[in-house]
Amino acid sequence: MKKRKLTALLTALAMTAGILSGCGAKGGESAPAGKAPAAEDAQKEAKEEGGETASAGETQEITIWYYWENEGHQATLDQLIQEYNGSQKQYAVTAKYVPFADFKKQLSIGASADELPDIAILDSPDHASYVDMGIFEDLTGKFDVSNYYEGTVNSCTVDGKLYGVPFGANCLALYYNEDMLTAANSSVPTTWDELMETAKALTTDSVSGIAFCSVQNEEGTFNFAPWLWSTGATSYDINNENGIRALTFIQSLINEGVMSKECINWTQGDVMNQFIAGNVAMMVNGPWQIPTMQSEAPDLNWKVTLIPKDAAYASVLGGENYAVVGGGNVDGALDFLTYATSEEKVKFMMNQFGYISADKTIAETQFAQDSPYYPFVEELNYAMPRGPLAEWPSVSDAISLAFNQVITGTAAPEDAAAQAQATIDGIVK
Amino acid sequence: MAKLKKFFRYENVGMLFVLPAFLYMLAFVGYPIVHNIILSFQDVNAGNLVKGTRNFILFDNYLELFQDSVFTTSLWNTLRFTVSCLVFQFIVGFALALFFSRKFTLAKPVRGILLVPWMIPITVTALMFKLLFATDIGIINFLLRSLHLIDTNIEWLTTPGTAMFALICANVWIGIPFNMILISTGLTTIPKELYESASIDGAGKVQTFWRITLPLLKPTIESVLILGFIYTFKVYDLVYVMTSGGPVNSTHMLSTYSYKLSFEMFKYSKGSAVANVLLAILLFVGVFYIKATTEGEEE
Repeated sequence: MKKRKLTALLTALAMTAGILSGCGAKGGESAPAGKAPAAEDAQKEAKEEGGETASAGETQEITIWYYWENEGHQATLDQLIQEYNGSQKQYAVTAKYVPFADFKKQLSIGASADELPDIAILDSPDHASYVDMGIFEDLTGKFDVSNYYEGTVNSCTVDGKLYGVPFGANCLALYYNEDMLTAANSSVPTTWDELMETAKALTTDSVSGIAFCSVQNEEGTFNFAPWLWSTGATSYDINNENGIRALTFIQSLINEGVMSKECINWTQGDVMNQFIAGNVAMMVNGPWQIPTMQSEAPDLNWKVTLIPKDAAYASVLGGENYAVVGGGNVDGALDFLTYATSEEKVKFMMNQFGYISADKTIAETQFAQDSPYYPFVEELNYAMPRGPLAEWPSVSDAISLAFNQVITGTAAPEDAAAQAQATIDGIVK
Repeated sequence: MAKLKKFFRYENVGMLFVLPAFLYMLAFVGYPIVHNIILSFQDVNAGNLVKGTRNFILFDNYLELFQDSVFTTSLWNTLRFTVSCLVFQFIVGFALALFFSRKFTLAKPVRGILLVPWMIPITVTALMFKLLFATDIGIINFLLRSLHLIDTNIEWLTTPGTAMFALICANVWIGIPFNMILISTGLTTIPKELYESASIDGAGKVQTFWRITLPLLKPTIESVLILGFIYTFKVYDLVYVMTSGGPVNSTHMLSTYSYKLSFEMFKYSKGSAVANVLLAILLFVGVFYIKATTEGEEE
């Protein structure tokens, strides 16, 4: 009888285990090859014994993790790597695609299982969390970032030390459908009041005046930040006149019917699709959509301008940073990064990606005045980074909950602001 | 050695056959579960995942959870989602199984086609239902408007109450074939002679159903309901794709909330505590299932 009970318990455990093994199995997949750690050890030993020259004979592997799903981006990165591998014999770089939704998870699992790449190209607001985790190498003094946009450098700086190199910069700006604007006899809005007026004029039965991604996650917070910061409020100080005004403005966009509530389920990609389908007249989005828009809707007549302001122009800084993982092949990673951050390569990468260089001197001459990218370079001057803060994901969660409450009408702006503030105060003491 | 040989000679030889599977389960199922339980008693976050300074805080994670309104909502959501789905998919599945057990032209091919929802990857189903329930472009609102049942579009996925309803609809659609096929199989095990003698004795359709079909299907029904409970309770992909737990955390399930805590907010210990609550509930149901099925065999 006892045995039976035990078997029953074990079987029951096995049946329920499916829910947990989901994470476990993926962790196993992420290991590139069983021999990787051994190979790394061998390399370390070789270096300790004879320095660089000893290992010069054999090729060392450098791995990169990135999350771009865009095929053009993948091909461009691949081309850069091929050129680098062809230019020298000491290192062979390979890149591995990890889906964005899994990227944080894989880095977390990799960190606890000691199965990390040598270089990670990661979303800038998460940088501080991983620095706090202690997996990134201190790069202070190894790269000259003095010409880079301050915000991009800040996103990978913790306690005055540089833990990464900005890959590229982007920010949000306002796209508008010029034909619709002309048809409605409206002008390009520059303030919130004008924006509301224009959006009302553009809204019809089948067209929403404006849309921006408001999903309850980091992507949504990214899109809400420009509105919040434009009032003078900060990400950590929301329960005041300014923060409430930002939330109230979003609420009025919904209440006036110029923005669809569906935005809480639309990613930035969805918003772009609605815009090129003609269902949305204006949208807030980033420059990385331009290549897709040009190929999917070549006849659509659109332009980009600064996001209308309340008290001051504001936008939010996005983009990726390179980070070197400590304990991996640091010398090789540095060698590749030095190659990849040279002016010529940065220009190549940025133009192919539709990104703006994080290097100010390159960015300013990167695009012609009439290029659709040009307004983004101008907007970059007003763009601020999120964080950097190890607990940023929790702060971001509180902010995204607040504007979701307001959009769905489950809380008044005042209550949402107070609730978010209480959560944030609990995180940032 | 000889002793060992002797030990495995007779009934104990079964242990050798079970051993490989047991070791596999121990490593790939047992270890993660134990590790997860230990993790939930510690305080592990982004800051100390690698550095290794993990404090044991015992039940603090669990105590915090029960004060966390999102957790209590997701626990309640998981329960009501599971129960509602079970009720609807079981009733419809049962009815369809009875219908297709009658012999008519095309009965078999149509029953086969009805299995399609069960075979489609859940993410695809979720995307499909997300579009069906979309406010402005969704076909459901279009139909309701055309039939003059509503004047303004219902905001299915952006209003807390209706979002849950949409999720349940999608999951019932997936679950019906599963219930139907298991009950169909159960129906074929009932001897035809019973129905024949019942009709000779003058029993009507309704009487045969309550007196013969239902009692003889009891073991099947128990399995269907308990397996259905387990499958439904650990729902993840459907919710993640359709609502991601929104709007305003109103459709978070234990699974999605656990994922969010662990991998979006780096609160690994709290996330694993949620997973353990899920595990405990399923373990309870699992034991119940084993008990029910083994009893059936003994009879």
